[in-house]
Amino acid sequence: MKSVLELERLRKTFGGLVAVNTLSFAVEEGEILGFIGPNGAGKTTVFNLIMGSFKPDSGRIIFKGRDITGWRTYRVVNCGIARVFQLSRFLRHKTVFENIEISTIQNRIFARENRQARERKILQAAELVGLGEDLWKLPGALPHASLRRLEIAKAIATDPELLLLDEPFAGLSAAEVEEVSGVIGKFRESGRTVVLVDHNMRGVMRLVDRVVVICFGEKLAEGTPAEVAANPQVQEAYLAGGGVNDA
Amino acid sequence: MSYLRHGKYLFYAGLVVLLVLSPSLLMRVNAPHWISVLTQANFLAVFAMSWDILSGYTGQISFGHAFFIGAAGYTSALLNFHLKLPLWLSIPAGVIAAVLMGLFVAVPALRLRGPYFSLMTLILPIVAMKFVLIFSNFTGGELGQFGLTPLSRARGFLAHQRVNYFYSLGLMLLTAVVLLLIARSKVGKVFEAIRENEEAVEAAGINTAKYKILSFIISSLIAGLGGALYVHYWESLIPSTILTLTLSVQLIVAAVAGGMGTISGPLVGAYLLVGGQEWFKELAALSPSLGFLEKWNVLIFLVILILLIFFARRGLLPALYSLWARVCPPARRAK
Ligand SMILES: Nc1ncnc2c1ncn2[C@@H]1O[C@H](COP(=O)(O)OP(=O)(O)O)[C@@H](O)[C@H]1O
Ligand SMILES: [Mg+2]
Repeated sequence: MKSVLELERLRKTFGGLVAVNTLSFAVEEGEILGFIGPNGAGKTTVFNLIMGSFKPDSGRIIFKGRDITGWRTYRVVNCGIARVFQLSRFLRHKTVFENIEISTIQNRIFARENRQARERKILQAAELVGLGEDLWKLPGALPHASLRRLEIAKAIATDPELLLLDEPFAGLSAAEVEEVSGVIGKFRESGRTVVLVDHNMRGVMRLVDRVVVICFGEKLAEGTPAEVAANPQVQEAYLAGGGVNDA
Repeated sequence: MSYLRHGKYLFYAGLVVLLVLSPSLLMRVNAPHWISVLTQANFLAVFAMSWDILSGYTGQISFGHAFFIGAAGYTSALLNFHLKLPLWLSIPAGVIAAVLMGLFVAVPALRLRGPYFSLMTLILPIVAMKFVLIFSNFTGGELGQFGLTPLSRARGFLAHQRVNYFYSLGLMLLTAVVLLLIARSKVGKVFEAIRENEEAVEAAGINTAKYKILSFIISSLIAGLGGALYVHYWESLIPSTILTLTLSVQLIVAAVAGGMGTISGPLVGAYLLVGGQEWFKELAALSPSLGFLEKWNVLIFLVILILLIFFARRGLLPALYSLWARVCPPARRAK
């Protein structure tokens, strides 16, 4: 299999705190990779480094053979990576349609606009996540689960090859987790790649092909879900945080 | 829905016709001095709309828009006064100066957030005024320079006023159309989205820095065009008309009262502000019992503004629109 994204010895410190420490792993094309670790392990920081929210102190980020280390966010997005934030970031005074629309607008100021193609893309993204009926609502009128879906739709509408999801299941009911898992599965079926962050493993075990576990910014284990769950080091790390299957 | 839309356009067309005919109408009702009042309203409308694209749309609240107006006004006036440059050269030079100042402000604005940016814009015109005073041999200092080439070459006072009015009206309508087109284009959508959540826009693959700079360029260009024409309308360079806090505040008052982030709101706000103040002055002159209005004029307007901010925060025009929508609700959106 081919790697889409490679992280090479990434390191990021905040003052004296080492948030990410010489972390290396690769994401294979077409897989759903679970990126797991207790709260504060550095998962969101790794996403921030990939998306260019922060520059790493050292290390490289390679996407499809290109070094994208330190690129500004919009460039990272335009070369094919999209991220779903842990907390929703929507435009309060804009409809669901308009919120997704921003993702379909080209960065070039004088780019030729194909309105129909854009509209189609917006509708497709909304349909995929199950917001087809809510296009003309304001985000404030949507329940929490639908806001999570909106974030996924916005990310998908940028046409990413690699989707980074930060705790997409946080605060969802079991039924809603099931639905969002379905959305992620459908996205992957179109041949694209997903990295899924969660602080516990139970929710993601059935969904992911492979797992990378980090703790205190360092890689602890990597492998299939079964291998990782059986790893004594992983179990130990999670004991401090309440166990592997803590919800 | 569609007939309502057409109704709206008919309404706008009617307004434009009314504005074009108003000098003749005002002569007929024997109120020719209102021609110059409306001219002032046109200029303030241009300034307020230029502020709106930067502050109302993109959310970068400028408290010192007179800086751009003044940069263009001073450049054009001084080139015209000292080097005898014709207006067709001095005015574009003024506009270029304003845009350069726009870029000059944009660079730190990309790093400064919220109140720090606004504080900087508040200080800039004050700094500029200090320069004007330091180099008063050249700039004319507090008194300014007189005898600039006038906009209108018409003979006779009233004809002169009329031509000036049409220049200002042309500029105002052009500004309104261009800014409304920009606001309704994808650029306007990006501006509004930046105002609401910059990080979300960047995550959508859009270079927010580039679009913020663009909003500075558009805003300073239009403010500059207005400012350069304004000094030649006055035929004199008077710092108190183009480089003061009063002007910066006045255009914000017009924009906020009319409805920021709408372009048409600031236009309406400018007319109400300038027209209303003149009307109060006239009322005051009408009878001694109304004489208090002369002194209370500005105060009353500021109180109205505060009430507006309290009861119709989005401004007059949006408040009227939503009232209208409640009185006769549009058909459900079909798209
Ligand atoms: N912007 C920041 N400034 C300072 N410290 C930060 C910042 N972002 C994250 N951290 C710290 O880095 C560590 C990792 O945080 P984070 O990546 O958010 O963990 P996770 O997403 O795995 O829960 C935490 O100790 C957190 O407090
Ligand atoms: Mg996190």
